[in-house]
Formats: sequence, structure tokens, C-alpha cells
Amino acid sequence: MKTPNKSRFLLAGLTASALLFASCGGGGSSSIVDSGNTEAPATDGSSAPTAAPTTVATPLASLPPCDTTALDSVTETIDITFWHGMNGDLEDALTALTAEYNASQTKVNVSLENQGGYEQTLDKYLQSSQDSRPEMVQAPEYAVQVMGDTDSNVPVGACIESAAYDTSDFLPKALNQYFTEGVQWSMPFNVSDPVLYYNKKVFEAAGLDPNKPPTNMAEVRTMSQAIVDSGAAAFGLSLDTGADSGGGWFLEQWFAKLGELYSDNDNGRLAPSTKVNFDSQVGIDLLTDLQSLVNDGLAYNVGDNASGQDALLKLADPESAAAMTISTSAALGTVLTTVQGGLIPGITTDDIGVGPMPAPGDADAPGAIVGGASLWIVNHDDPAKAAAVWDFISFLITAESQSTWAAATGYVPVRSSALEVGAIAEKYTTDPRFKVAYDQLLQAADSPASLGAILGPQREIRTLSARAIATVLQGGDVAAALTDAATQANALLSAYIAANQ
Amino acid sequence: MAIKTRRLRDIPLAFAMLGPSLLVLLTFVLYPLGKAVWLGQQTCDVQGKNCKSVGWGQYTNVIKSDQFQHALWVTVKFALITVPIGLALGVGLAVLADKQLRGMRFFRTIFSSTIATSVAVASLMWLFLLQPSIGVLANLGWLHDIFPVIKEPGLLKDSGTALWSVGISSIWANLGFTFILVTAGLQSVPKEMHESAYVDGAGGWMRFTNITLPLISPTLLFTTVVLTSRAFQAYGEMDLLTNGGPIPQDSTTTVTYLIYGSSSIIKNNDGLQAAVAVLLFVILLALSALQFRGFGKRVHYGS
Amino acid sequence: MALDTAPKGWRSFARYSMLTIVALFILFPVYTTVIAALKPGNKVLDNPLLPNAFTLDVLKNAWTEGRLGRYLMNTTVVALIITSVQLMTSIASAYAFSFLKFPLKRLVFGIFLSTLLVPLEVTLVINRRTIDSLGWLNSFQGLTVPFIATAFGTFLLRQVFMQIPPDLREAAQMDGLGHWGFMKEVAIPLVRPTLGALGLFSFLASWNQYLWPSLITTEDDMNTVQTGLRHLASSDLDKPNLIMAGTIIAAVPILIVLVVFQKQLVRGLTAGAVKG
Repeated sequence: MKTPNKSRFLLAGLTASALLFASCGGGGSSSIVDSGNTEAPATDGSSAPTAAPTTVATPLASLPPCDTTALDSVTETIDITFWHGMNGDLEDALTALTAEYNASQTKVNVSLENQGGYEQTLDKYLQSSQDSRPEMVQAPEYAVQVMGDTDSNVPVGACIESAAYDTSDFLPKALNQYFTEGVQWSMPFNVSDPVLYYNKKVFEAAGLDPNKPPTNMAEVRTMSQAIVDSGAAAFGLSLDTGADSGGGWFLEQWFAKLGELYSDNDNGRLAPSTKVNFDSQVGIDLLTDLQSLVNDGLAYNVGDNASGQDALLKLADPESAAAMTISTSAALGTVLTTVQGGLIPGITTDDIGVGPMPAPGDADAPGAIVGGASLWIVNHDDPAKAAAVWDFISFLITAESQSTWAAATGYVPVRSSALEVGAIAEKYTTDPRFKVAYDQLLQAADSPASLGAILGPQREIRTLSARAIATVLQGGDVAAALTDAATQANALLSAYIAANQ
Repeated sequence: MAIKTRRLRDIPLAFAMLGPSLLVLLTFVLYPLGKAVWLGQQTCDVQGKNCKSVGWGQYTNVIKSDQFQHALWVTVKFALITVPIGLALGVGLAVLADKQLRGMRFFRTIFSSTIATSVAVASLMWLFLLQPSIGVLANLGWLHDIFPVIKEPGLLKDSGTALWSVGISSIWANLGFTFILVTAGLQSVPKEMHESAYVDGAGGWMRFTNITLPLISPTLLFTTVVLTSRAFQAYGEMDLLTNGGPIPQDSTTTVTYLIYGSSSIIKNNDGLQAAVAVLLFVILLALSALQFRGFGKRVHYGS
Repeated sequence: MALDTAPKGWRSFARYSMLTIVALFILFPVYTTVIAALKPGNKVLDNPLLPNAFTLDVLKNAWTEGRLGRYLMNTTVVALIITSVQLMTSIASAYAFSFLKFPLKRLVFGIFLSTLLVPLEVTLVINRRTIDSLGWLNSFQGLTVPFIATAFGTFLLRQVFMQIPPDLREAAQMDGLGHWGFMKEVAIPLVRPTLGALGLFSFLASWNQYLWPSLITTEDDMNTVQTGLRHLASSDLDKPNLIMAGTIIAAVPILIVLVVFQKQLVRGLTAGAVKG
């Protein structure tokens, strides 16, 4: 009768793992993303020349058609399901708009289905068969290429043409974000860009002008120094490494601000990108700058920002707060209601300041690229359904709807005429904080570089750049981290092109 | 001859009784397993369609990849944290509560209570304890004066403490389960054996190691197997508490998280996903064989 | 039974003290959760260990706005369907393996047992496609059918059935008792305690499902408690008290079930550890 003891069980685990590692053999360092294309020749991003454009503009005629008059002859109500990723206050605002639309007419009835977030929406869409997909879906800005490659949509451009819809007062950047290969794939609906949130009370306590936020990172540094030295707050800036924020999206924003291409083939707008540029000197300088802010105790890295709120919550930290952070303008409405709810003692909504996203270094570059998401019409081979979705989309983008939507959330109206009507006309004069994001978009040039990149595996590449930035903010070598991330990103790009052509 | 006809006579009934189960198990367990093995050597487009075979070498490449090896190591560490500690705590609690004393029912109910928490409930409770800005521990000044990591960067965000923190929440959530099992095991130990050992002059610790432990060894083996397989398949904790992070160390990216996690770079790559999942299956298979073959023989199953 | 050497009073005092300390540690996360759920938003961060404010509004909000009432109902239906059908299929297949004679019995039993070794993670993505092609996304079929047969239950009940002496079955047959009668009169009464245990075990497992429901639901109406909580947590981290209220609402029903069925629970969980 022998006694089993815990060390034996421990040993079992160790043996099992040891066996496995032994079986792996040396192998050296390799990334799982290289595994996908074992037969493809190894791509060496640094030496390979940029591929010549291979994609000709996809003619609209080869894509599913849109006949907006199909709705005219419809007698029974058409039910439309709309998958979206709006949460919290944003969802409330979308629900209100949809209810208004449903009440305004009898031909179309829209049901909203929240999928939990952009990412879950996209994942579910990709996993589902065409029959299980909704009639309409909201897809994030980083999914343009992927969504286009699913061959599952009626391009919005076809409906614009069919309805002879006038887009002359739309922000060109908003439309262009979703325009590739000669096709207007989807309709911008919720447009955002990153802005600087800051605590005016801390600025005052540090002897700074609470109405003059920093416009570039050099100013962030001097102001943070003043804040930390005066003891007004523990940190100047709260940074994060989330893929959807500081780790990925902001990096693309900073490249666009400087007019630098983020990837080849004109940011993937001329033809699919084959390599990324974030390992260039521009990227190295940018991250070296961020790293020194953290090293000098001026900025605080909250990490991967999983909830999307960690960076903002650092401003509410009762004990070691930061004075500023960069976050999406779409959070403005939520930030204000949260502050109003009393989460941060002693702070009122008036103490929250909003400024443009600081430019890299000492640059004067106030522009931004379009963030947020757009509306896609899903092809169900039913002209009436497509026309019904188009009818709802055209409601969501009227000047009135966009005005209501922007005022409730912090998103940017997609058309300039929205500024003259409804809630946002008043909001932009009484509360200029809401207008910062809009002004940023207008100030950007309309070149491929300042439009931002369109990449197939864009989400995954943001994950990679986020890891690089996390490495850097924790003191890692800047050039090495960026090179490693870029190599893996280039492997992902070529694997994507191979699998989706 | 008679036997032969009986064998045949039962066939329709056997078919009716086994058919439904067999259909479900074949459709939802064995077919997907086979399909996953096949998919593991393929590469597909973003929708998981147009899959092309790229060769069985894809499995080898996955095994060799940094991400897989790292995730496997994290998983093993997670099991090594949660299983022994969880088991020791469960046994300790069960022994402590294994006395006919007034109020023991009350304590037993408390000790088993965490079995009512699902992974989502338990993880969210711990998230509210550990979150560095708004969490409970982070707002106890005296505590994070002693342990600054609670606040900066936070127990879930420090690459040194993240896996331990997730592990502790997992141990806590499984404690009720372990406690109930071990208590039941203890109650099956005949009291007379203790008494005679006492007469022979055996002390408390000797009685525990020489009598109690061998007699509850089947329970301990079963608990270990269950806790190990739970540890190897843990997903919800990572999804809710850390997202596999902190990056870039990926301190809590387990194999399951590598397959399904929202921040995994293979989550929309059906081929690689399947390859990793099949490898997880093989590992679990090897592990249970090891646990039963190597150590099952030493387990005392009574007479 | 005076086995103790130290004075009795001192020993039980030491034991009670330890029991109390451990209990406090275990209850700590529960305590902070309850405190937070009962506080209005502006008091949550203010002294998280003390109940210095009280409101039931947050719980009400979680129930209505967070829709936890609906999710609870869905979860209950799913868990009840899985549990009851699992019991039926387990009885049927265990009976067939124990009392029927048919060719390839060992092979079929082997197939059953082999499914015990396949972890859920391997099958999920492909099962999602199967459910999709059946048109069962967002349906109770989709949430339940993949789990209505279990080799574990079959194996467990077969163990008990095998204890019935073959002579008994022969004798019953002589008396004109067919399979149906034998099952009703002899076999099922024998496994009734095991059935209770198995039922509770599968109820608990179905209730706690996390990955599968999140994969196959795209409609809020079909969310379960677990996926609903995940949703609440991802959208409302700025309202920690609301999330904590949600976890309480999700945990309380299952706590009640467990207290009521405590006996079956112990038996259910120890079923796998029975002497073999």
C-alpha cells in the first residue's frame, strides 16, 4: 500500500511538459504567423521591392446591384436586422435613433442586435454563413479590406448611384476611409478620432493655463514636468498599449499626422499592402519619445487597456492620478456622464478639458484619420431588402440624425450640413469640447498618407504593434521591438494576400 | 443457434436506444475532431472558406512557434499553481471541518459556497478586487503602501503577478468543488481505524499521512485529474481578467486563450486555430494517460 | 471518543478560530461584491470595505437594464433541457450496453468512451459551423443539442446496471417482463440516486457554459447569464456597482439550487471517485 503524494503529481505535470518540450526540438525562434504558408517562399520585407499595383479598380458592375426604387413597390413591412457593436451610452443613442426611424414609416422595421463590440461583431460576421448574416452590419474602420474580401455585400456606392444621392456636403475624409479599389463599400456613420482629455483643475494647480492643452508631445513633456513638479498630480499623461488605442490606432494616427505612409502601395489604397513602414526612423523617434516620457516619470502606462477605459480611469484614480490621456472622441459623452455620476470626488464636468491629439515631437500637425465604424449592406439577393437597408442608412446620415447622434455621443457628424441643424448646432457653440474632433478631421490633408492605411489583417497588425509599444514602454529596445513586429506584420500581409485571392 | 438469434433480436431495440446518443456524439464530438485534425494542415481565407492544404508540416511549425511554446509553458505554470495549491487548501479545509462540532454545518456551507460561482461570476468579483484604478485592494491605502504592485501597475497588469492573480481567483472558484469532494472522501474513512491507530500511539500527523491520505487517495486522484483538465482548458478567467496579457510578455496567454482569445493573432485563422486545438487535445490525452497509468496504480482503492 | 490530549476547550477554541479566519478569507470577495452592489455610483470608490451608503436601485437596474431577468430564464431553460434529455439518453444507452446483445457492442462502447477524451475546445469552431448550417444559431436547439448525449452519464449508469445479476434479468424474462417493464420496475429504481447526482452535475455544467453560448448567439434575447455578464462587464466598467449587482443576481439562483440539493451535489461530484 503506497502513498501517493503531491510531489508525484507535480512530477507528473513536469514530466509531461518536459516531454513536450523535448519533442519540439531546437527549432529556434519562429512566429506562429509564419506557419500558415509553409509552401510560400520566405518573404524578407526589407529587401523585397514594393510590389507593383496588381489590383485594378473593381468595377461597380461586377458587384451585387442596388435598386433603391425596389422599396417603392413593397406592400408588406420588411424586417431588417442590424448587427452593431455600440455599448453603454452609444447604444442608448443608437436605440433612440432607430426607434425614431421605425416610428416614422411603415415599410421597414429595424431590429438592433448588439454583438458586444466591434471585434465580436466582425468575428461573428466572418464565422457565419451568408444566410445567418444580418441584412445590415456595422464594421469598424480597420475592417474595410476584410469586409470587401468577403464578397458578401451590396456596395453602398451602388445605392448612391441608384438613388442619385447627393454626397457633396459629406466630409471627404469620412467617405474616402471606406473607398478603395474604386468602390464606395460602406457608409460612414460613427466617425471618431483620438483627442486629448485633461483635468483642468490639475492644470490650474500646476500653474498652467487650463484652456491651453499641449498640441504636440514636446509640450506634453514640459506641461507634464510642471504637473509632476508641482505635485498637482502624480503623472502628466496616461498612456496605454491597447490595439484599438495607444498600441495600434494611435500609431497609425501619428504617422498620418506627419504625412508618412504607414504601409506600401499608398497605404494599401492603390493595391494591397505588402509591407508596413512603422519600423522606419519615424516610428523609432516616436516611440523613443514615448519611452522617455515613461522613464522620466512623466507618463504612466496603464497597459493593454482591455476595457478601453483603463487610460481614462487613470484620470479618476483617487490616489495617483494622471492629468491627461489620449482617447477616442466617442468616449466624451460617457466621460461626462460618468463624471456627473460622481465617480471622481471633487470634479465637475466643467473640469474636463478636451484638446486635439498631440502631434509627434514638436510638430505642428493638427490632423487626424477617421476612426469609428461604417454601415454595410449585406447581400441577400433581394433588391427590396437592400433598398430597405439603404433607406435606413439614408435616415441615419441625414443632417438631423447626424446632429442628434453627434451631440449625444462625441462622434463627428459625417456631413457639414449637420452643423447647422438640431442639437449639434447648439452643442458646438455652447460646448466646444465636442467640436475638437471635427476640427481635427477638417485640418488633415486628403492624401493617401493622411487618410491612413487599409490592410487585410489590420486588426492582427495592430495587435503586433501594440506588443512592440508595450515592449518599448517597459524599457525594451525601440528598434528591435519595431523590427520584430514589422517582420511578423509583413508575414501576415503576404499570408493574407495568398489566402484571399 | 439460440444465442445467435438473441443477438440479432435485440438489434432494433439497441439501435433505438443507442441511436440518438450515437448521432449526437458522432456529429458534435467525433466528426469535428476528425475535421479539426484535417483543418490543422490547411489554410483558409478570412471567412474560413476556400481552404487549401499546406501540408502536415503546419503542425510541426505550430509546435516550433514561439507563441505555441510560450502558451504551453503558461498553461503548465497555471496548472502547477492552481492544482497543488487548490488541492492542499481543499484537503486542509476538509480536515479542519471534519469534526462533529456545533456550527460545523455553517462553516461547511461557507467553504462549499464558491461552487455556486461560475467562471464569469468569480472572475468579475476578482476583477473588482484587483483592478488597479477602481479596484478594492487598490483603494486600501495601507495595503498598497506595503505592496505597491497592487496599485502600480496592478496585480493583473504586472507580468510577475498576473498569472498568480488569475490563479488565485481560479483556486478560489474551485475551492468549493475540491472541499466537497475531499469532505466526502474523509467521511468514508472508518472512524475505528483512527481509534486503533491512536491506541497504537500514532500522533495526529502520522494518522493523517498513514491512514487518512491513503484511504482518500482515489478522491485525491480524481480531484487532481479534474483540476488539471480545468487548468488546461481555462479560458473565461483570462478573457475577463487579463485578456491574455499583460503584453508583450503574454503572461496569461494559455493554449486555450491562444486559440480563442480576442487578442490572439490566429483567432481568425481557422487552420492554425485547429492545429493548436488538436495539439491541446493530444497534450490532454497524454496527461490523463500519465496520471492514470503512472500514478493510478499507486492509488489505494480499498479491498 | 476522547482522542484529544490537550484540554478540550482550548482545542475547540483553536479550531473555531481557524475556521472563522478561513471563512472570512473565503467570503471576502463576496463581501466586497455585496457592499459595492448596494452602493450608489458616487460612493463605490469611497471606502470599499464599509457599507456607508445603501440603495437597491443598482440591483433593480441590473435586472431591467442589464436584462438579467431574461438571461436567467434562458439559462434555466437551457440547463433544464440539457439535464433532462441527458438523463434519458444516458439511461437508454447504459441500458443497451448492459442488457442488450448486439454485434459490435465493444466497438460502439469504445466509441462512446473515446468521446470523453475530446476537449470542448477542439470541437467548438466546427460545431459552430454545423449549427449554422442547420439554421440553429440563436435557438435553444443550438444551445442544447450538442450536449444532450454524454458518455460520462452512460458510463456511470452502466456501472450501476452491471451490478444487477444476469440471472435477475433472465428470471424477469421468464415471468414475461419485457425490456420496458424491466427498465421501469428494476433498472431505473436502482439508479435513482445516481440519476439525481448526475442530473445536478449536468445542470451545473450547463449553467456555467461560457464559450459555446457566446459563439452561437447573435441575438440579445438568447443570451445566457454568463454571456450577459460578459456583455455587462465589457460595456459598463465605469459602473462597477452595476456589474457587481449582476454577479449577485447570476449567483443567487444557483446557490439556492445547491443548498436545496446539497446531498445530490456531493454524490454527483464524487460519482467519478467511487471505488472502482
